Amino acid sequence: MVAVLYLAATVTFWPVVTEVVRGGTPSWRMPWIPALDVDVALRADGVGLVFTLIALLIGALVLAYAAVYLPREGTRSFLILMAAFTLSMVALVLADDLLLLFVCWELTSLASFFLIARSGRAGEEASMRTLLLTFIGGLFLLAAIGLIVWRTGTTTVSEALAHPVWGTDPAYASLVAVLVALAGFSKAAQFPFHVWLPDAMAAPTPVSAYLHAAAVVKAGIFLMLRFSPAFAEVAVWNWLLILVGLVTGFIGARFALMQTDLKRVMAYSTVSQLGLITATIGIGTEIAIAAAVLHTIAHSLFKSGLFMMVGVVDHATQTRDTRRLPQLYRAMPLSFALTLVGCASMAGIPPLLGFISKEALLGALLEAPGGTWAGWLVLGGMTVVSILTFTYCGKILLGAFVDGRDPRPILPVEAGLLWTAAIPILAGLPLGLAVFVFDTPVARAVEAALGLPEAEPHFSLWHGLTPELVATVVIIVVGSVLVATRRRWLGRAERHFLFDGPTAIAWANLRLRRFGIVLARGALDDLPVRHLTPIAVTLVAVLASGLAVAVGALPPEQPGLVRPIDAVVLVLLTAAVLGVCVSRARLAAVVSLSAVGILATVQILALGAPDVALTQLLVESLTVIVIMLVLQRLPLAFSPPVRSRQFRAVVIALAAGITMGLATWVLTGRRSRSDVADYLIAQSYELTGGLNIVNLILVEFRALDTLGELTVLGMAGVAIIAVLSTVPDRLMDPEPDDDPNHATEGEPLLRASAAQSSAAQRAIREAWANLVPLRLVVRLLAPLLAVVSALIFMRGHNSPGGGFIAALVGSCIVALIYLSTSRDRQVGPPRLPLWLIGGGVLVAVGTGIWGLVARGSFLEPLHTKVAGVALSSAMVFDAGVYLAVLGLILVAFNLLGTGAGTARDPRGERTRERTDEIVEGELPGPLDTVRGERPPKVGARTSVVTSDDAPGGSGGIRP
Amino acid sequence: MTLSIMVGVLVAGGVYLLLQRSMVRTVFGISLLSHAANLVLLSAGVSAWRGEPLLDRTSSQLMADPLPQAFVLTAIVITFAVTVIMLALAVIGHNDDTRRAPDTGETHDR
Repeated sequence: MVAVLYLAATVTFWPVVTEVVRGGTPSWRMPWIPALDVDVALRADGVGLVFTLIALLIGALVLAYAAVYLPREGTRSFLILMAAFTLSMVALVLADDLLLLFVCWELTSLASFFLIARSGRAGEEASMRTLLLTFIGGLFLLAAIGLIVWRTGTTTVSEALAHPVWGTDPAYASLVAVLVALAGFSKAAQFPFHVWLPDAMAAPTPVSAYLHAAAVVKAGIFLMLRFSPAFAEVAVWNWLLILVGLVTGFIGARFALMQTDLKRVMAYSTVSQLGLITATIGIGTEIAIAAAVLHTIAHSLFKSGLFMMVGVVDHATQTRDTRRLPQLYRAMPLSFALTLVGCASMAGIPPLLGFISKEALLGALLEAPGGTWAGWLVLGGMTVVSILTFTYCGKILLGAFVDGRDPRPILPVEAGLLWTAAIPILAGLPLGLAVFVFDTPVARAVEAALGLPEAEPHFSLWHGLTPELVATVVIIVVGSVLVATRRRWLGRAERHFLFDGPTAIAWANLRLRRFGIVLARGALDDLPVRHLTPIAVTLVAVLASGLAVAVGALPPEQPGLVRPIDAVVLVLLTAAVLGVCVSRARLAAVVSLSAVGILATVQILALGAPDVALTQLLVESLTVIVIMLVLQRLPLAFSPPVRSRQFRAVVIALAAGITMGLATWVLTGRRSRSDVADYLIAQSYELTGGLNIVNLILVEFRALDTLGELTVLGMAGVAIIAVLSTVPDRLMDPEPDDDPNHATEGEPLLRASAAQSSAAQRAIREAWANLVPLRLVVRLLAPLLAVVSALIFMRGHNSPGGGFIAALVGSCIVALIYLSTSRDRQVGPPRLPLWLIGGGVLVAVGTGIWGLVARGSFLEPLHTKVAGVALSSAMVFDAGVYLAVLGLILVAFNLLGTGAGTARDPRGERTRERTDEIVEGELPGPLDTVRGERPPKVGARTSVVTSDDAPGGSGGIRP
Repeated sequence: MTLSIMVGVLVAGGVYLLLQRSMVRTVFGISLLSHAANLVLLSAGVSAWRGEPLLDRTSSQLMADPLPQAFVLTAIVITFAVTVIMLALAVIGHNDDTRRAPDTGETHDR
């Protein structure tokens, strides 16, 4: 099905093909980042054309093959990834913008990573290595692109490559050439990046076929071709490509002989073949590029076909190991014939396409820069590689079909597999005979790859008696001898080397990790002191040096900065801060802290900020309640201090305090009221119709800030839920026996036995009786507070009040209810907090969109008057604020409120259970899941830890 | 001047508490530091003008700068959110002493 889509894409692409073949370069562009002059630009030229057709046509074949090869179920991710893969590949080869090119380059890396990774455990490490190596290459490419854009000033590929700088600045050209070459090597699996390609064999055969024949590795070749116009004359480029190409060709061929897994033989053969192509691109002449392009085409045909044949063998015998295969050629004559043709093409035997392309490669090598001897030397190296190629081709064919002796059964193979594999292999035969059909497309590719006005390569089966023909004869003769005598040496060749790529990478990885640990040693500590001390010291240093500069010319202070009340607050505040710092008992510290909060409120009120003061007061009381909820679970006193550390802490703290105080003194109070203030004071009423400027700023002038703020509040609630739901129940609420901080209840103060329960006894021992007064108060106070909250909400626009303050008053109702119940239980339905938070954010955003639609500006409020009362959409926004604040408060109380008493109460819900209930709804007990595991449906198959079993604390698990 | 001293006192106390080992004291320290930050913001509005920014009650000549007040209001509420999160973290495992990381059941990759 999808294969048909690929074919349809090819048909759609066909007009472009004809135009390019005629010599045009159709292009299309759309602005992407106009500020940087970056476009989504596509441009079809010869090189892009060849690679697009390879990607699409081979893709169609591979998908048709995969439809039969893969199991019917669970292939959707494969199809999506393949489509993404092809799309990024096509976009890469057609890209005419350097940034687009880079993005597509990385996308092909990612797609190949996912395709390998989805093959399960075997693919896990291999895919990581692939990702690592190809991303290293990506970084080289990014560096190269950065350099190119810097010097040429354009991101358009065609313009950048035609820039004169490549000829005038050889050092720069060499640097960029090396970077591009390394990037290309990483993708095209050239030494030393070749490791990932055989690794990628973990993926299913269709993926390998596509990866090797049409996509990722060809992207590397493409990159080198694409940048050839700029670098073809750069000596570093030429020799780097030639040497690395030949070395890779040799290593790949040698390692291919070593393998017993047919797929790995194929993988190393790809490495080797790509090495030859790379070397030829390095030659950089017209004939060489033509040969490289032709060999790329030939290689994608025979390699995709051969891979699919390996899949056929795999399906028939359930193994790919040459040592375990039965003799197949009698049972599968057709497969044998197809593999024979494919291997012959790879080995370069006439009259197949592979022969012509290999001939072309050999001929092109003679043109190596640096004189005749260099050409002969390179030709000699290539001949050696080709002899090895011939040999491993023989090994594939004979190893798979002739030499096997294993008596395992041979299963029938679907005809579909065979035919899809046959198409690319058999295509090599007519194409070899009629090779002139490639003359024009390859000519266009050569023109594009070298920036030539016109190229006329000519391919034919018979060139006359040339050095390359002699080389071919030598290759075939020596190769045949080696194949014929294979039994004598193959066993030795298949022994493994001392180390291979994956071990090398694992070794490097280990060293890097150790190095990283050494580097991170300073930050590895869990003690906050270690992390905070440098921050505090830096703060002091920066501020102090800033002050030293600023103190020189200070404008005079404004008169009337200080009022008498300030001094009173200062004295009390200092005492309270000291109290927080020195008290060892937690309760005392909390009392001092709340004193600081109250004093801050007084100071704020004295500064003329009633809204802020109200907020501060309410927040302070709620904070204290939350702290008390937390403290009941913690030890009574703080742990005793370490004296040596204390001294350092005091010194740092005093230094920080003095510098901050000085900075505030130097930097504030030395100007008149700001222009913004004057503007707000003068214009607020006309603009909004409100009188309370602070509230107007919050909901109208700077409503976006407030939207962000209420989102932060909501997210704080969500974050608490998320964190607490990752902690197992037994760790969060340990049983008293497991809890080192558990304190047994003290003896009652009244000297009377429990049996004699007087009223005074009950008041102390029993929560219920203790709370009677508070409950009575709540009865009265809750409705009153509700009315107050509503009033404050309504009047916010004109007098102190508004959404925040109203919500905090409303939260006080929640707090009172929570505190007044004798048994610890949740306030409100379990899922309410999340609904409130989500609803609040949605309401606020909805108001914003309303403003956007009605007024054309996000969050712009609309004002109307209904029956004489001014109404504004800002009030709806304020309601969103109200909901989000209330949601956070509910989360805080319900989740932090459980204590030792809850754990003992058989009906008590513990922290973990409450956390889960916020997400899942009512539950019979805490879930025993960990992060990342979501129960499919709560109640059905969830294991639940119930409090009544397993007194040991870990809790039994019930199905 | 007094405001600056107040800021200094609050920062000194806050930094001292931050450098302690107990998570709850760290939370208290952050609380003090945020009080200090609020006062810095308010004093940026120049404390010579102290009229409430309510258009119908105060003469516009005496009115305090409303913008820092709006910032501080926002800051107070966000501080509350931060405090609640930190308290929730402090409470895991019934011990807030940070001699070692709380055991969350996840493996600690070192």
